[in-house]
Amino acid sequence: MNLIQQRLSVPVIKVPQGRLGMWILIAGELVIFGGLIACYLLSRLRYPEWAEQAAHTSTFFGALNTVVLLTSSFTIVKAHEAALKKELTKVTIYMSATIIGGLAFLVNKSIEYTNEIHHGFTFSSPQLQESGNYVGSLFWSFYYLMTGLHATHVVIGMIIMTVILIQARKGKNLHRVELAGIYWHMVDLIWIFLFPLLYIAK
Amino acid sequence: MSDTLHKKSFFRKYLFSTDHKVIGMQYTITGLFMAAVGGFLAYVFRYNLAYPGDHIPLFGELGAQQYNSFVTCHGMIMVFWVAMPILLAGFGNFLIPTMIGTDDMAFPILNMMSFWIFLLSTIVLLASFFVPGGAFGGGWTMYPPLSAGGYTNPNPDFFKAFFSGASLMILAVALEFVAMLMGGINFLVTTINKRTKGMTPFRIPLVVWFINIATIIFMFSVGPLVAGAVMLLFDITVGTGFYDPARGGDPVLFQHLFWFFGHPEVYVLLLPAVGAIGEILSVFSRKPLFAYKTIIYLALLSAILSVVVWAHHQFVAGIDPRMATFFSVGTIIISIPFAGIFLSYMATLWGGSIRFTVPMMWALGFIGTFLVGGLTGLFLGSNAFDIYAHDTYFVVAHFHYTLFPVVFFGFFAAFYFWFPKFVGKNLNPALGKIHFWCTTVFFNGTFFLLFFNGLGGQHRRINDFSLFSNVVKEPYITFEKIATISAICLILSQFIFLYNFVTSAVRGKKAVKNPWDANTIEWVADSPPPHGNFNPYPEVFRGPYDYSLPGEESDFIPQNVPHTNENIPVLKVKLSVS
Amino acid sequence: MKIFPENVSTYGQEIDNLFWMTFGFVMVAFVISLFVLFYPLVKNHHSKVKKATYFTGESKKHFRWITIALVILAMSDFIILFAEHDTWERIENIPTGNDLHVGITGRQWNWIFTYPGPDGKINTADDVVIDEQNSELHIPVNKNVIFELRAKEVLHSLFIVNTRLKQDCIPGRMNTRWVNITKEGTYDISCAEICGVMHSKMRNFLVVESQEKFDQYVKTLYEKNAPATSSSNNR
Ligand SMILES: [Cu+2]
Ligand SMILES: [Cu+2]
Repeated sequence: MNLIQQRLSVPVIKVPQGRLGMWILIAGELVIFGGLIACYLLSRLRYPEWAEQAAHTSTFFGALNTVVLLTSSFTIVKAHEAALKKELTKVTIYMSATIIGGLAFLVNKSIEYTNEIHHGFTFSSPQLQESGNYVGSLFWSFYYLMTGLHATHVVIGMIIMTVILIQARKGKNLHRVELAGIYWHMVDLIWIFLFPLLYIAK
Repeated sequence: MSDTLHKKSFFRKYLFSTDHKVIGMQYTITGLFMAAVGGFLAYVFRYNLAYPGDHIPLFGELGAQQYNSFVTCHGMIMVFWVAMPILLAGFGNFLIPTMIGTDDMAFPILNMMSFWIFLLSTIVLLASFFVPGGAFGGGWTMYPPLSAGGYTNPNPDFFKAFFSGASLMILAVALEFVAMLMGGINFLVTTINKRTKGMTPFRIPLVVWFINIATIIFMFSVGPLVAGAVMLLFDITVGTGFYDPARGGDPVLFQHLFWFFGHPEVYVLLLPAVGAIGEILSVFSRKPLFAYKTIIYLALLSAILSVVVWAHHQFVAGIDPRMATFFSVGTIIISIPFAGIFLSYMATLWGGSIRFTVPMMWALGFIGTFLVGGLTGLFLGSNAFDIYAHDTYFVVAHFHYTLFPVVFFGFFAAFYFWFPKFVGKNLNPALGKIHFWCTTVFFNGTFFLLFFNGLGGQHRRINDFSLFSNVVKEPYITFEKIATISAICLILSQFIFLYNFVTSAVRGKKAVKNPWDANTIEWVADSPPPHGNFNPYPEVFRGPYDYSLPGEESDFIPQNVPHTNENIPVLKVKLSVS
Repeated sequence: MKIFPENVSTYGQEIDNLFWMTFGFVMVAFVISLFVLFYPLVKNHHSKVKKATYFTGESKKHFRWITIALVILAMSDFIILFAEHDTWERIENIPTGNDLHVGITGRQWNWIFTYPGPDGKINTADDVVIDEQNSELHIPVNKNVIFELRAKEVLHSLFIVNTRLKQDCIPGRMNTRWVNITKEGTYDISCAEICGVMHSKMRNFLVVESQEKFDQYVKTLYEKNAPATSSSNNR
């Protein structure tokens, strides 16, 4: 390995490798969510009656989760700043705060899901279908698909951050804190799109 | 792959290797294996078409459901498990690091994971043949509602629905996309970041440019289909109704998502092959590639255009007529940059000093056959004629005339060209030429007459035409038989390739560093390149196509030779050092 | 050997002509391309030309031949486009007169035909529905007939080779297409979109006959169906 490192004479590096890879990954992810959001919007325009289903989503929980995610984005920025200065305790504190933010988001989300399932709104909403409201059940399919895929990204982000935190605590691979931050910002950004589409537009 | 520096166990070296060459080899071999599977499927249903109801040698009787599965899986396998791994992942892994002068990919472990996920997707796909009901048989486009079982059961049993041909196929495709996305991140980062000193953007060989453009097209068109495939998977397994018209869904939405990716996918496959052909034409014409920079711009232009033409696959699906006109114009316009690229390739030959080596013959064969495919596309681009030709054998012949040259002529050209470099042995050129002529003749024999069947009104995906009086008559029956016999011969000819491959790899003569007198820097490395490829890393001083420079004695000057007034002595010295 | 099967619709000939026009352009392009490809292979074999001429093709001057070729290609592309546009419009624009409407619905695996009932209007309760294998759709000759195309469970595609008409049938939507057939006879109706196991057995007949015979046929249908009219096949 060392031998290879030495032979790498003068690489033409412009952007650190990890950051570049992360940006490309994010571009790919955004296209996936973009496709999903486009499908949702097309159906939404076709079915004005979705508004009555959207009325059942909890704006309070949605707004709370937005605040939680924005705060955790702020703490990861702080963690990155601390990582640049090599202040390991601060890195640990801020990263843990971000992970806890993610956890809070998931707890909120599950309370929300529980409420909705309780009211008979599930992935395929058999209750709505039995009453003949097929179009309404389609709204909930989209709702669970979009928020579910987003929540999966939150979970993945938390796993990545935990791994990075364990290393960063000992001062190893500090540059990766930034990568976690970029990823977390993407998770945040996607939520900023989902929140108005699913919770506010009624 | 002789590696004296790193003694590693067999497993680390060949199975769980992070070396880009080994991963490229793994991708290529898996792709070739799947080509054999896809070829066998093609043999079975082509035999059935020529001799309906007969006992098929090596297989037996073919039922209607099996016929549908075989046609579907043939298409699926050839596009996603042969063309993608060989042309994008295989070429990318072999060529990018060596041609830009670096040791390996930017993220070697990601690269290894990419292959293993790909292998998993292969296994899932092959497993779908053995689930109850057999592999999915609703066409490789997987259009719902057929792929969702016609929405006959709104509350499916999850496990039963999950282990069905349709859902396993969707899962396999999704895994394959993940693998290619991981590979794609690697390709882009490696090309942007890891170029050797002096490898400025316009000194990068064309094929590396094209692989990267293909990667970008892939990454930016596949997203919506990933979302769409997930929705379809839930429709099948959980009972949602994203595409169920009875529940407010829209089956045409899936068609849009599919073709938004499906059309650019053609360019994803086309570009790496066309790039490799460009390198070969330049080397064996002993001339710079004509209009190298312009070709890159044209490719970028067609990459952008490729995402706005998708609905030409839906002219008869009942889309808005004005939209159809827009897509018709787009489709016909996109032919122009590609015509520019091909004309530039032909211009490369003019004024050259042409050598008919085996790779050159494949490259020329590629241009000749692709020409037929490209020109027949003009018929289909006009939407009025497409009303008639859509879903007939005219379309089948057309896309085989584009994809077969791309996948097989493109692969074989590259294979015969780079085999000495990456395996370190020489192939038998006589066998290579026999292989070329057999493939070309039998390929045309298989598909050319199908154009007439299509114009005669023969529609696709029918296992038994006995009900259709306009097709069950001469000469169409004879044409079917000729096509089938040619297809069998086409498959048999590939054993020449296999024999050549195996015997040369085992017993072939050791290859020299630069057998073709080529300029690009992979030829500076040893044959085969060791782990780490170069020692020392070459510095690049010039573009990749300095062939037959006026005033020079040698008709090629590799990229790592500096510009100097007394070129010739320095050239000698540098060559012996590297 | 005839390239195309017999054409019996009013617009079919235009589609065939479109093919032959495009064929002309394509053949010219093909022959020129083959010349451009093979000429240097013969002329510039390395046994004849020892050293290649160096030119990169980057300058506009070098590229001019390709520019010219591309402009010619673009022009012929647009000629084809203009030519096909009229045909496309003609097929896409449904006649608005007081023409016969019939419903054609794809199902697994035959075509369902719906005739307007005695009230002369389609999609009403007295429609006559024929839903069986190998059934015939009767329409009058030399008259505009409008097809209302639907599908029951999966995609199908109406394909009547001799009229050059093809149109997908999509569940949950109605597409309309029209024909005007100029020759009496019986023609195949097939399905051009894979729709399941028996896709290849999906074949019905189109019977084109004189107005009198057609009226007679419809009359017998009404008599047969008088007591029990099935409801419309709207899903
Ligand atoms: Cu296309
Ligand atoms: Cu059908």
